[in-house]
Amino acid sequence: MRFMDTLNIFLKPNSSGNATALTTLCPIMNRVVDGESSVDITRERCLRLPIHEESPLAKVPNTYLARLFILDNVFYESLPGGDSVFNFSEITSIFSDKARLGALPQKDQLKSKYLVFSSNFHGDLDAYLRGMWDKWSYDDNGQQRDVRYIWENCVAFDGVTDSSSFISYMKRCQLNSALFFNGSTDDSLQEQLKALYLKQEFSKFAAANQGKSAADLQEAYKAFIDQVQPSNLSGPSWVPGQCEP
Amino acid sequence: MTQNLDLTDIQGNIVKAYGSFGFFKARYLFLRVDNGDKGRDFVARITSKVTSAERWSKSSAPSVTTNMAFTYSGLEALELPTASLIGFPEDFVMGMSKRKVILGDDGPSDPEHWDKIWQEESVHIWISINGKSIEDVEERYQWVSKQIDATGGVSLLKGHRGEDAFGNPSDDLPYQDASILYDENGMPSSKEHFGYTDGIGDPVFEGQTNNEKRVIGRGKLTSEGEWVPLATGEFILGHLDEAMEYPHTAPRPDLLSNNATYMVYRKLHQNVGTFNKFLDEQSKVFPGGKELLAAKFSGRWRDNGAPLVHTPDEASKADWDKKFAAADVPTQKKMLTDFTYNEDIEGAKCPVSAHIRRINPRGSLEYGVKGAFNTPGALVDRRRILRRGLPYGKAKDQTSDDGNHGIIFMVLNADINRQFEFVQQQWINYANDFKLGNDKDVLLGNHSAKCPGKVVFEVEPGSGKPPHFVKNIPRLVETRGGDYFFIPSITALKMIAGGIIDPT
Repeated sequence: MRFMDTLNIFLKPNSSGNATALTTLCPIMNRVVDGESSVDITRERCLRLPIHEESPLAKVPNTYLARLFILDNVFYESLPGGDSVFNFSEITSIFSDKARLGALPQKDQLKSKYLVFSSNFHGDLDAYLRGMWDKWSYDDNGQQRDVRYIWENCVAFDGVTDSSSFISYMKRCQLNSALFFNGSTDDSLQEQLKALYLKQEFSKFAAANQGKSAADLQEAYKAFIDQVQPSNLSGPSWVPGQCEP
Repeated sequence: MTQNLDLTDIQGNIVKAYGSFGFFKARYLFLRVDNGDKGRDFVARITSKVTSAERWSKSSAPSVTTNMAFTYSGLEALELPTASLIGFPEDFVMGMSKRKVILGDDGPSDPEHWDKIWQEESVHIWISINGKSIEDVEERYQWVSKQIDATGGVSLLKGHRGEDAFGNPSDDLPYQDASILYDENGMPSSKEHFGYTDGIGDPVFEGQTNNEKRVIGRGKLTSEGEWVPLATGEFILGHLDEAMEYPHTAPRPDLLSNNATYMVYRKLHQNVGTFNKFLDEQSKVFPGGKELLAAKFSGRWRDNGAPLVHTPDEASKADWDKKFAAADVPTQKKMLTDFTYNEDIEGAKCPVSAHIRRINPRGSLEYGVKGAFNTPGALVDRRRILRRGLPYGKAKDQTSDDGNHGIIFMVLNADINRQFEFVQQQWINYANDFKLGNDKDVLLGNHSAKCPGKVVFEVEPGSGKPPHFVKNIPRLVETRGGDYFFIPSITALKMIAGGIIDPT
């Protein structure tokens, strides 16, 4: 890795060119209403989010890839049996069982469960979070849901009333992504979707027109360009969330 | 050091492709076990005639062979101990029809369209009779029928599609017959219904042969570019595999699984009319002509199996043919298998999508980066499959798909999921490993009308020539039935028959 790349991990921890990584851990209220916990309600709302083109994340501008899940607890990796000190005490046996077990690391537990949101997107964080507040919407059996429906059971989310309070809430919950790897280019989503569309259409064009004379091919190519409009990002293209041609 | 296998303990069909020993006719029987005790008695009787892998001399070769295998429910019906049954792998326990999503058996290949015999979950035993003549097969079949009658604990299952003895179509035949195809002069050929020469590049594993020449192009590639036999454990349980481990698919006890293997039985109908029409239509727009186009689909020329990588055009093919005609048989075999894709990484000669390159990329997954893996074939050596089987039926009308003709395709491997299912899912019906997106194998892919397939024939970079696209590929092969079977050793057959398997 080049020196500047290494340095950037520390200077700009959540960026890779024009791509940004966001990870937030929002604590969920430890509350039960009518026999249902806030965690279970939030989990079910996440699981029932529509996917692909219907996903609310397809409406949030510039989302490359995002996921929501509940972090129930930290992962427990069993007793550190290979620890050299532990083995040493096994051999000498001069300590009581209680003392030896007491010397093991304590098992960590989370105090609450967390709603984890992780997203890779194009552009800057404030603009992206504003897009989440403004554009996140989906139909839930006839009811329109906005972004609050997923987050409303999180601790202190009741203080969120507008886009700027949403932005500062999410930033308070943000973790740095020090080793961010962006799986695509860092172009805007519109440009990436247009590129995917053009690639698919061009391979169809190549297959459909093989063997034609230079003049006919040029004619067909002109028609193809008129149809696909390569420089028109809002013209024919894939839509966000689309997974098949 | 070369491994010595217990050839008298291993069933013969694992080590030998009977077709290449002059056994041109086969009959496959499927039975249900109705009663454990009587079923085991039946297994004992058949075991007395099961053919081992013992080497044959001219005088010791039999005129007919018999082999036997079981589905998971068959082993249950024969009352194997629970401690043994729970050791079988998930793929084998589920059986082939329930693996349809992995295998791409959809549309016309969906199990709901399979032969009637596969519509019930009662196929327990597979018996294969291979004979030098149909009379030999018939005689052994009559003997098996007698054992069925004598024991009374098993039923021969009907429900194969085909033609009866009078040539009338039937969907309720009591067995599946198969046979090599004969040329227009009535001479035996190694062709299948699309006209390709079949059964050339089967893998070779340690202990199978003492003939080093047979390993060339069929074993595994070393870093030095030499061919050596694959580890026995890729094909036979109880032996070390390419990961230097004993296969994880072996049930307990060792005596049940040692020298056994798993078999995939697939009846594949060939849409001969569609294939011929497709080939004719596509060759009109393909500059190299019809036979080169057919060769580009498979990676070998149809007439004699010449590998495209050595015969990329008419001129080189003509030279190769001359040498081939003048060569002795061992040299001919070497000419058919001795090649890699190292000089053709781009696929300009043999397309990356060609059938034989997909199922055995021969080190080309290093993409020309020497030393990318421990050995050039590291990604291939764990995905090899032994192919057995013969064509069935006759394609009487070359312009029609109707009728019953295709291939009884049998795969032998130690791990159905890691080997056969992987090849089928990733290399036949998908091509990400070959950097070809979701293009499918032209001949075997599950192409659909909704999303018609395409493949690309690459050209030499910098040649100024355009690549060639083959588009709107129809489904050329349809699955008509099959299942997953366990082929035990002869020792294990005796133990199953005796009800004396002790997994403790």
